[in-house]
Amino acid sequence: MSNDKALILKLQSKDETALGLIYDKYSAALYGVIIRMCRDEDAAKNLLQDTFMTIWEKSDKYDPNKGRFYTWAYRIARNKTLNFLRKTDQLIQVEDLSVYKDRTEEETDKLDYLKLKGTIKRLDAHHQRAIELVYFNGLTHREAHKEMDVPLGTFKSYIKQALRQLQQSYFKLIIFLMVLIDVMR
Amino acid sequence: MDKAYILDNGILELYVLGELSESDQQQVDTAISQYPELQSHLDAIEESFEKMAFENAIDIPVNIKSELLNTISNTTTKTVSIAPQKSLRSYLNIAASITVLLLIGSVYMYSQLNSTKKRLEVVEQENAKLNSNIENLNNYLSETNKWYVAINDPDVQKYVLTGNAMMPEATVISYVNNIDKSVVINTKYLPKLDDDHDYQMWADVEGEMINMGVIDKSKDMLAMNYIDNAESLNITIEPAGGNDHPTVSQLITNVYLQ
Repeated sequence: MSNDKALILKLQSKDETALGLIYDKYSAALYGVIIRMCRDEDAAKNLLQDTFMTIWEKSDKYDPNKGRFYTWAYRIARNKTLNFLRKTDQLIQVEDLSVYKDRTEEETDKLDYLKLKGTIKRLDAHHQRAIELVYFNGLTHREAHKEMDVPLGTFKSYIKQALRQLQQSYFKLIIFLMVLIDVMR
Repeated sequence: MDKAYILDNGILELYVLGELSESDQQQVDTAISQYPELQSHLDAIEESFEKMAFENAIDIPVNIKSELLNTISNTTTKTVSIAPQKSLRSYLNIAASITVLLLIGSVYMYSQLNSTKKRLEVVEQENAKLNSNIENLNNYLSETNKWYVAINDPDVQKYVLTGNAMMPEATVISYVNNIDKSVVINTKYLPKLDDDHDYQMWADVEGEMINMGVIDKSKDMLAMNYIDNAESLNITIEPAGGNDHPTVSQLITNVYLQ
């Protein structure tokens, strides 16, 4: 992912082609986050476009020494989506909170494709849930531990353990791939 | 914030998720730059999150990308649109430069034209002078030729009239041609008179003085009236414009013809 450096430098010098390539690379991952947070395809599309507009306009604010480009872009997408939800939430709460909750659950069933996949599925259920809440649902730790009904400290350790397991499985995957490549040779 | 606190409290996770306040984030930034261990922890967290996000990526309709790029090129076209103006300005600059050059050129040409005109005038004047000189010379030559032919005729008799006691310095040479009936005189050695007087020439025919004409002192050579049967040639000083009868007391020279 470090070979992105040249591409990001181009983006920062306002190269439209670079933005196109950045979009090709990161849009699906960011969209995956946005749509799981807001569960509304039309809104998610708008938010994604909005996110990339900000990436384009504020690209000079990104400092490669302070972390990955994806992390920076994720924070933009997350903030935009949370702002959007906060506005709509207020409207909905004025109506009826229970209706909103029912509808969300209903829609979640319909939106089967939003179910998480990949390495996260190998985690324990509570670890999966913790990651899903903070990473894909955009909840803060404080909101999430209440949601899961565990103390904040416990929740934090869930996140840490989950991340460690993810890391290990990625490591195992890499080892497996390396062995596979070696065998094939 | 020290290293242990950050690690124990899952601060890096919050950092990656963007949950930290601005000031907390800055403190973590400083701690990360101080401790390489925190940096490698952060790298691992970021990597895990990123991989997980890629595993859970969801494809989107292509039109969002084209919309995005359109929106961006529309905003950039506004800045790009200055470029043609720049080139227009540079065209105008070029045009202005050419105009200035043409103006300077035409001023130079105009001054050249003026000096050429002046020179042409001078040349024309000189040419006219030379032409008139040539004309004068031609006239002089033809006149001289005329006198030369007149006095070199074998029929011509040359008589020298020398001044008498009244005007001893005077000399007039006369050429008489009795065949052509012409008289030519050379008055070059005749002293100049005042404006009130003229020399007049007379022919003596059987005791009577007959007018041969007033001598024009502006010419060295001049033709006089030829008188038949003249016995002598005489020159008197008369009032300006000449006289009907010679004033004999004013006779300055005479010569008898053979």
